[in-house]
Amino acid sequence: MNTVRLYLRSMGILMKSQLQYPLSFLLQTLAQLIMEGGEMLAVVLLVDRFDHLHQWTAGDLYFFFGLMSVTFYITECFGRGITGNFPSMVRSGQLDTLLIRPRGILTQVLCSAVDPRRITCIAVGTLSLILGSRLSRVAWTPANILLLAESIICGFWLILGLFLIEAILCIHSVKSVEIANALTYGGRSACQYPVDAYPPFLRTLFTVIAPFAMVMHVPASQILGKPIFGWPAWAAWISPLAGPLLFAVMVFLFSRAIRFYRSTGS
Amino acid sequence: MKAYLTVFRMRLRMETQYRGAVLGGIVCQIFFGLVLIAVYRALYAGKPQSLPFSHVATYVWLQQAFFRMLLASDAELMDKVRTGGIAYDLCRPLYLYGFYYARIMAQKLMGSLLRAFPMLVFAALLPEGWGISLPASLPALMLALAALLLGLGCVCAMENMSMGFTMRTLDPKGFQAMLNLLMMILSGNVLPLTLYPDSWQRVITLLPYAQMLDAPIRLYTGEYGIPQAPGVLLLQAAWTVLLVLAGMMLWKRNQRRLIIQGG
Repeated sequence: MNTVRLYLRSMGILMKSQLQYPLSFLLQTLAQLIMEGGEMLAVVLLVDRFDHLHQWTAGDLYFFFGLMSVTFYITECFGRGITGNFPSMVRSGQLDTLLIRPRGILTQVLCSAVDPRRITCIAVGTLSLILGSRLSRVAWTPANILLLAESIICGFWLILGLFLIEAILCIHSVKSVEIANALTYGGRSACQYPVDAYPPFLRTLFTVIAPFAMVMHVPASQILGKPIFGWPAWAAWISPLAGPLLFAVMVFLFSRAIRFYRSTGS
Repeated sequence: MKAYLTVFRMRLRMETQYRGAVLGGIVCQIFFGLVLIAVYRALYAGKPQSLPFSHVATYVWLQQAFFRMLLASDAELMDKVRTGGIAYDLCRPLYLYGFYYARIMAQKLMGSLLRAFPMLVFAALLPEGWGISLPASLPALMLALAALLLGLGCVCAMENMSMGFTMRTLDPKGFQAMLNLLMMILSGNVLPLTLYPDSWQRVITLLPYAQMLDAPIRLYTGEYGIPQAPGVLLLQAAWTVLLVLAGMMLWKRNQRRLIIQGG
């Protein structure tokens, strides 16, 4: 409980510090809006030209896009310490100061940063989710709402876990490892479309190794009433758990990697 | 002129130093290319278009290969303005705008060439419908190369413009970031301009953003035929000259009101 309080306190202080430069903050938030707006525009224009992607209609595609965008940017907002700052903490030797404090390293890293600029990205995602569910006539039964919430929460842990891969590699190599971006940012770009659009290699990658499909597409397709892979309804409730599972594995690997940490500071 | 060429050459060499980063970048860019082509293929399967798919695949690969050209490259100037280091640059017997223009051009040219060659080789080895196809004709390739050089001139002028604005606001993350994102959207990186609605394309292809990579790619695939080429190149040249002139004016005014920080 103490940890949660610590996290919330840190978030409060960090938010305040970000708002010290209101104009800069506003411009950056606007830049985020353009970025995510542009991504959504691409989907809208593609739908306008092609109507559908396999069995997925326009509404379905907006729904998938919105789910990915909401989940990914919630993670980038609250997990900024891991998704953004970790490599520079290793490079600058800043991580040393965390090692001597009486708290877990991951807790401290998570407490070290927040990125409220992502709020506009989350807003675009939410808009897309609403638009998609309207167009696809989703029935918002309690079960469906719960399933969506589960998907977003599990997605948060999944994405955080994938960013931990970069953190682990970074402890060993000191440099930030761009290749890990293929799974995180690449996963975001790829899995804003349902995974069955892809050839077997990419489909396996995003179902088994970086299980975006398990966490997002299986429950989302269930909500849309067109189960992907033809899986039964109960599977949609279980498969998102792949996200927290991946995170747990990565935390284990991270705690092993940190033993090899050698400071770069002087 | 010789001085600017030397700056250019030195930067070219510097850019070849970071080979590890280049390799990581190439792998990522290839991955993004494959994902995009997979999506467009699936969409095409549902509703074929008049534009042949090989053109779309070629467009994606060329965009990914020269991605580095679009990316903002010179972060040092902002630090210099903020720390006062700009004073050293002002002491040089060089024209500041030209100095930075040469630096940026070298960075963009070498950065994208280093990445483009291995990526295009890889893309050429991919099977039909996934990889890059050959240029429409030999003259088309020559014209595309000429257009690419003009596009490089244009993109450097554009970046100098956005740096000029940033020198005023001192906040690279706000205004510059916004311009960069607009560039990604309007230059065809997020979505090929050839897949925008046809009525939009008539306007978008006239904007400076389309001159950077879109025009050379369309010349390469033969979307713009040989008879259209002079018009295309002329438009590129016009934008480049216009942006350079506007940038020079902006920088001149900035220099007059520049405050050297630090002490």
